[in-house]
Amino acid sequence: MKFVALALAALATGFAAGPDVDKGKTMGNPSAPITLELYSDFMCPHCKHLHEDILPAIVADFVKNGKAYLVFREFPLNIPQHVYSRPAANYATAAARIGKYQQVCDALFKAQQQWGMTGKVWETVATALTPEEQKKVQALASDPSVLAEVQKDYDLGMRSQINQTPTVIVTYKLKQQPWSFWDDYNLFKGYLDGLLKK
Amino acid sequence: MDFSKNKALRIVLLTLRVVLGAIFVYAGYVKLKDPWQLFAAGVASYDLLPMGAVEVVARTLPWFEVAVGVVLITGFFFRTSSTIITGLLAVFFTLIVRAYMQGKEINCGCFGGNEPISPLTMLRDGSMLAGAIFLCVMAYRSRRTPA
Repeated sequence: MKFVALALAALATGFAAGPDVDKGKTMGNPSAPITLELYSDFMCPHCKHLHEDILPAIVADFVKNGKAYLVFREFPLNIPQHVYSRPAANYATAAARIGKYQQVCDALFKAQQQWGMTGKVWETVATALTPEEQKKVQALASDPSVLAEVQKDYDLGMRSQINQTPTVIVTYKLKQQPWSFWDDYNLFKGYLDGLLKK
Repeated sequence: MDFSKNKALRIVLLTLRVVLGAIFVYAGYVKLKDPWQLFAAGVASYDLLPMGAVEVVARTLPWFEVAVGVVLITGFFFRTSSTIITGLLAVFFTLIVRAYMQGKEINCGCFGGNEPISPLTMLRDGSMLAGAIFLCVMAYRSRRTPA
């Protein structure tokens, strides 16, 4: 019986976060009851709002205290206005390999308007890295495994029928539910609190 | 001939009543089994109501859908239930079409879950509305008890 419970728990974690989640793109305890998979696009203004204004509250209320495990997924939209989204996602994923994902995300979202206009993605990424780290990230950004990881995130999002960014896939007790309404954080907080009380 | 036409009409009315009623019961049930905030997020994404009103709608509408669906299936208060369902569907359909015309990429919130508004959603809700209007017209035309 215990074995079955353990197997189910392992299956739940695997189902929620995917079998090979990049540790550099996660936050919190992988065995937390809730898994939040955040699909975002670095050129999307709503993703910037979520990253800068809402994510810190999610981390404080659910991730730091072990209630939720946060997984960052890339979802660079395939639209002409978001032509630099994919390179930005590649750089961020490359930075995750050296433990600098959050710093690069912060830099990309902070200067979103500038590099979104000029296309100077690398120049923005570089501001978050030391010269040594810059060399590593630049090399990794064209690594096939990094490109494949970004594509895998995108494919996962498509399979989850994500139709807008940012979207969080909330997984609780094997049930997945997308959430993409961010005008009122209290609603999302209430939803997660309600799940945890179930 | 008249007898068989009348019988066919009664069968159509009964089928419509049960199908529409069951759809409403199901729509309410799928919303009620999840935390209310999930449906509230769907309602709020239409950008029509303030958050206070969104909460009231999210907490009460699913119960109302179940209740009116059950009443329609039973056939009691046929005029009232068919009128309410027609009114609700007219509102839902209008909001869905409006959101689609505005280019909003939101979920319809019809049956909970993740269902983006699409021409298929409009076709489905439009068909339901047409069925409800037919039921309503028949309810007011007939003085007798429903099929």
